[in-house]
Amino acid sequence: MIKATTSDRVRIFWTVIFILSLATFAGAQDVTLDSDTLSGLPIRSIGPAATGGRIADIAAVRVGDRLTIYIGSSSGGVWKSVDSGTTFKPMFDKQPSLSIGSLAIDPSNPQTVWVGTGESWVRNSVSVGTGIYRSRDGGENWEALGLADSEHISRVIVHPKDSNTVYACALGHLWNANTERGVFKTTDGGKTWNKLLFRNDSTGCAEMVMDPQDSNVLYAAMWDVRREPHNFRSGGPGSGLFKSTDAGSTWHELRKGLPEGDLGRIGIAVAPTNHARVYAVVEAKNHTALFRSDDGGDSWAEVNNSFNVSGRPFYFARLAADPKNADRIYKPGFFLTVSDDGGKSFSAAFSTSEGFGEAVHGDLHALWINPDNPEQMLLGTDGGVYQSLDRAAHWRFLSNLPVAQFYHVSADMADPYNVYGGLQDNGTWMGPSRAVDGIANRHWRVIGGGDGFWAFSDPSDADYAYAEYQGGMISRFRKSTGEARDIKPLPRANEPDFRFNWNAPIHMSENHPGTIYLGGQFLFRSKDHGESWDRISPDLTTNDPARQHQELSGGLTIDNSDAEKFETIYTIAESPKNGDVIWVGTDDGNVQVTRDGGKHWTNVAKNVTGLPAGTWVSTIEASHFDPATAYATFDGHAAGDMKTYVYQTKDYGKTWTSLSTAELSGYAHVVRQDLVNANLLFVGTEFGLFISIDGGAHWAQFKGGLPNVAVRDVAIQARESDLLIATHGRGIYILDDLTPIRALTPEILAKDLVMLPSRPSVLALPAGEQRFDGDSEFRGRTLPEAAAIAYYQRKRHIFGDLKVDVFDANGELLTSLQGEKRRGLNRLQWPERGKPPKMPPAAGLVENEFVFYGPQVQEGTYKVTLTKGKDTYTSEVKLVPDPRTKSTAADRALQHKTVTQLYDMLAQLTYIVDATNELSGQMKQRAGAASDSKLKEQLNDLAQKLEEFRSSLVSVKEGGMITGEKKLREHLGELYGGVNAYSGRPTQSQVEETTVLAKKLDDAGTQFKTIVTAQVPALNAALQGKSVEPLKVTSREDWDKKQK
Amino acid sequence: MLKKLCFGLVAVALLAPAILAQTVDEIIAKNVAARGGADKLKSVQSVKSTATLAMGPGMEAPGMLIQKRGNLARLEFTIQGLTAIQAYDGSHAWQVMPFMGKKDPELMAADEAKEVEEMADIDGPMVDYKSKGNQVELLGKEKMEGTDAYKIKVILKNGDVQTVYIDADSYLEIKEETKRTVRGSEQVYEAAIGDYKEVGGVIFPFAIESGVKGSQEKQKLTITKIELNVPVDDSMFKMPAAATPAPPKMDAPKN
Repeated sequence: MIKATTSDRVRIFWTVIFILSLATFAGAQDVTLDSDTLSGLPIRSIGPAATGGRIADIAAVRVGDRLTIYIGSSSGGVWKSVDSGTTFKPMFDKQPSLSIGSLAIDPSNPQTVWVGTGESWVRNSVSVGTGIYRSRDGGENWEALGLADSEHISRVIVHPKDSNTVYACALGHLWNANTERGVFKTTDGGKTWNKLLFRNDSTGCAEMVMDPQDSNVLYAAMWDVRREPHNFRSGGPGSGLFKSTDAGSTWHELRKGLPEGDLGRIGIAVAPTNHARVYAVVEAKNHTALFRSDDGGDSWAEVNNSFNVSGRPFYFARLAADPKNADRIYKPGFFLTVSDDGGKSFSAAFSTSEGFGEAVHGDLHALWINPDNPEQMLLGTDGGVYQSLDRAAHWRFLSNLPVAQFYHVSADMADPYNVYGGLQDNGTWMGPSRAVDGIANRHWRVIGGGDGFWAFSDPSDADYAYAEYQGGMISRFRKSTGEARDIKPLPRANEPDFRFNWNAPIHMSENHPGTIYLGGQFLFRSKDHGESWDRISPDLTTNDPARQHQELSGGLTIDNSDAEKFETIYTIAESPKNGDVIWVGTDDGNVQVTRDGGKHWTNVAKNVTGLPAGTWVSTIEASHFDPATAYATFDGHAAGDMKTYVYQTKDYGKTWTSLSTAELSGYAHVVRQDLVNANLLFVGTEFGLFISIDGGAHWAQFKGGLPNVAVRDVAIQARESDLLIATHGRGIYILDDLTPIRALTPEILAKDLVMLPSRPSVLALPAGEQRFDGDSEFRGRTLPEAAAIAYYQRKRHIFGDLKVDVFDANGELLTSLQGEKRRGLNRLQWPERGKPPKMPPAAGLVENEFVFYGPQVQEGTYKVTLTKGKDTYTSEVKLVPDPRTKSTAADRALQHKTVTQLYDMLAQLTYIVDATNELSGQMKQRAGAASDSKLKEQLNDLAQKLEEFRSSLVSVKEGGMITGEKKLREHLGELYGGVNAYSGRPTQSQVEETTVLAKKLDDAGTQFKTIVTAQVPALNAALQGKSVEPLKVTSREDWDKKQK
Repeated sequence: MLKKLCFGLVAVALLAPAILAQTVDEIIAKNVAARGGADKLKSVQSVKSTATLAMGPGMEAPGMLIQKRGNLARLEFTIQGLTAIQAYDGSHAWQVMPFMGKKDPELMAADEAKEVEEMADIDGPMVDYKSKGNQVELLGKEKMEGTDAYKIKVILKNGDVQTVYIDADSYLEIKEETKRTVRGSEQVYEAAIGDYKEVGGVIFPFAIESGVKGSQEKQKLTITKIELNVPVDDSMFKMPAAATPAPPKMDAPKN
């Protein structure tokens, strides 16, 4: 350690002070957009959870009589259940990476959980981790504890007795070489790590198992692996199965009985009841098999190589030993199979349920078996989590984990509009942007299978949608019938084979609704819903033959899934300003543009400066304002380059300006320009959504309700101005109404408070649905039935009022709302209703939901005044009828008149009952004080009479039973509720009953007046001189005053 | 200009060590000072708050909260003219929930009583936390929705755990999260606190937005009036003996 001298300390002190002061002054002068400016806007997760996403790992522990379960999703974070799997909460959303490799619950303390980030199921679409994390409070708070450059952590093991001793099995970089990989150990709770086992800079640790009976014994599978954009290699000289018997200090390779030559990925399991029994599934050249050792790994024998045991070894490399039976070993693979005889024979695939129905999604990566009850299992698949309570015979899907891995998103023009998008290994889905009481799984519909990517509704025929699966398998789906027609273009006699990317781009023309583009190595265009295609380009890629060997990809085991199909078009953009200007970006780095509808193409990639040559073009976005302008993102992660590349050109690609700043992080998937404000840009990266309001000079990450999840695509629904966000791991999010963000400028950011515009708010058509779904149903948020009032404030509001008053056209105050306090953008919801009606007390509630609410206000423009301390700000809210309404303006006016009349009648009834109660109270009080027995009797009699009168107006039967008693209050309340529950013309019956009840209310008023005028003056005369106060009847005017 | 800069440096230099060295007790002391000071707080014997609770799509309930030194609280709110009561008498919480046709006072279940019990702590749980049996811990300083805040964990004697965010400028509380175990399951509530105003030399929040953590459904409590030291009889906090109602005359059962 270097010791600082006194003068050093003085200098350091002044340096620190100087830096602090700079920060202070900079902060005072320059208010830029930051995450907190934006993140106050509510954002809605709409699912779906009807289908899941890939699950990398599962851990669970019994706490009391309940299971605490942690689900590690491949790109959607950590989810926790403390109720044995009924409900789940996300616990890792604020951490830098939501890709989970491994979870480990500390055996000594179930509140301590370790997470190794970066999943080890390293398919082409895999994300990257940012190291190892620990929570000591059950996942509420996390500490990053190193291994930040490991990118993928396959396994974490906490010592069974010592919480500070932890082993990490780190796979390391997938796309390039690095050295932070292998087996690591900490003995100080993660402060420092020692690398115990390292092979070479392309080999990492793929699996690690601790002997369940001897914590000094560890097995580690080392895996030599590399991905490139066009190739995958599993296996190499670095791979091997290793064992340590001294807690990781030394390792020796286990080889006896295992295949000769290079090995690939290896999965390991040790039987908990017999630690000499070790199973390993070992990938070798064109031969993967299950091996068994009965001597702790010293010698091995091949026992099985059936289809599910040997299939796709890089992707399925877990074994799960039964906790109580050493001969029972499960093999999660394409399906789930099990051996009951030590691996000699394996069952048929039984996760597919009886018959041909597929009960469980294929591609299994995690299997947790309850050690206390091996009948209970949790299975992690490419499509979510399933639970079995009968040893895998039957499965229940956990349909409340919204971890869908979208690639793209689009919207149609229905009302409410639908969103469309394709998911990794989970097909293509469409679902509504709004639904009564929330967007549930049942609202979503599958419109395509396989791995889904781009999907669009056909703007020229709303019955059609286009979906695709891997390799350009585009189909046209007919929504009304469910027919799917294969419309993929096929090579003609003189054409070469077409190459389509895993995620082949489909693009819809804005200039010619119904025109579709599809990208292979050529650009295809169809003007007849895919019946025929024109090839409108030559091969736009570099067409490098060395990178066109998908059929050889895989390394030791051929894995020809189209995932490494290369030299293809990856992004297409027709200029909305000129249909002849079309941009194409390719996976091998070409940026091609045509200005004559495809006759001539120019590759402008070389003009993009500051970008490594050949970097994958992840999007091109043609400007909505200028045909010469376009935006592009480039994604170098498949070459190990994790930088964020965003560019703009204003001259058809001749020159490019980088829009990347240090505020961005994660490799970039998408850039989009707003449809209204040319300076408003959106960028999706592997680590989140970024927004710029100044054309890309500054960026801020949108956080708030959006986790740090990969944002693969964003789209804007033009009619609603909604931003649709396709996350790869958390389904679709909607940021409603971009209008306030569109209005933000750097000048506004510097002001204390500014009212911002919102889109006109639709007057909600009141609707509800009675459902009792229990707690385990996912329900995505819908748009609240409220008008939005948006404003920006520079600092959080703390002192004095922050309230918003809403006035009608006559300047009458309708309601006051408590303001939102946070710094930055705020969106206050006004429920579009006045205050609830006054109701007299009675035996119980009038059980009609709409009695609790005030009348809905009418369409029109409302003045809004925001008061913040001593300052006031004004704005407007525009309310428009729902376009779907069946009522006319006259119908709605009658509804408003009727509901207002009933509202006023309820107030009048409340006045009568309050005045009656007040008067009878006075009488009882005077009676108690009176000495004159006759007067006492008179007072008590009249109090009794008033009580009878009250009983004729309101229900009085108590006891908590369904009495069915209805008096004027109940009739009036129900009628008010009924009229208030529908925004159109009241029924004839309702109108007539209003008249009937108005008469009854008048009668009641007359009756009250009669009692008052007939008796009170006489009683007051009698009370005079009796040293008690005279009776005082509450007038309506006094009552009104009291209500305010 | 240079002079001004130097002055700024000195000011920062004086402030900097203080910022770094704050303990939880100092922050609580500053919070107490920001609220008007310990003497002022202690001089308050009772607080009567009149408020409106807004919830859902246009539902509102007028209400009133009376707190009295000595761990007494009574909350009333009115829906459709029916007034509900929740109260704490220093050892028991009880309620009247008249909405379904029963107006008898009922003892509240222990888990649910905690909320009412916590209302009865007129000074708040951080004041005199030791003598109340509460524990406090400074978790750090962080940005809470973009505002610098001290994060203090308060473990209440009754087992509830609160995370209190104290604004780093004003030292007033701006957010609170409460974890409560109800029938063996943890529930987490959150409340945004603001609109501070002075009443009788004491600073009170007049706006509280609360609900289940992360939920979109939030209740907004807007306080319209606070009165200090109004005379309050202790009897109003005691659970009344249930008035045995006369058996109602039954109509034909409805169903």
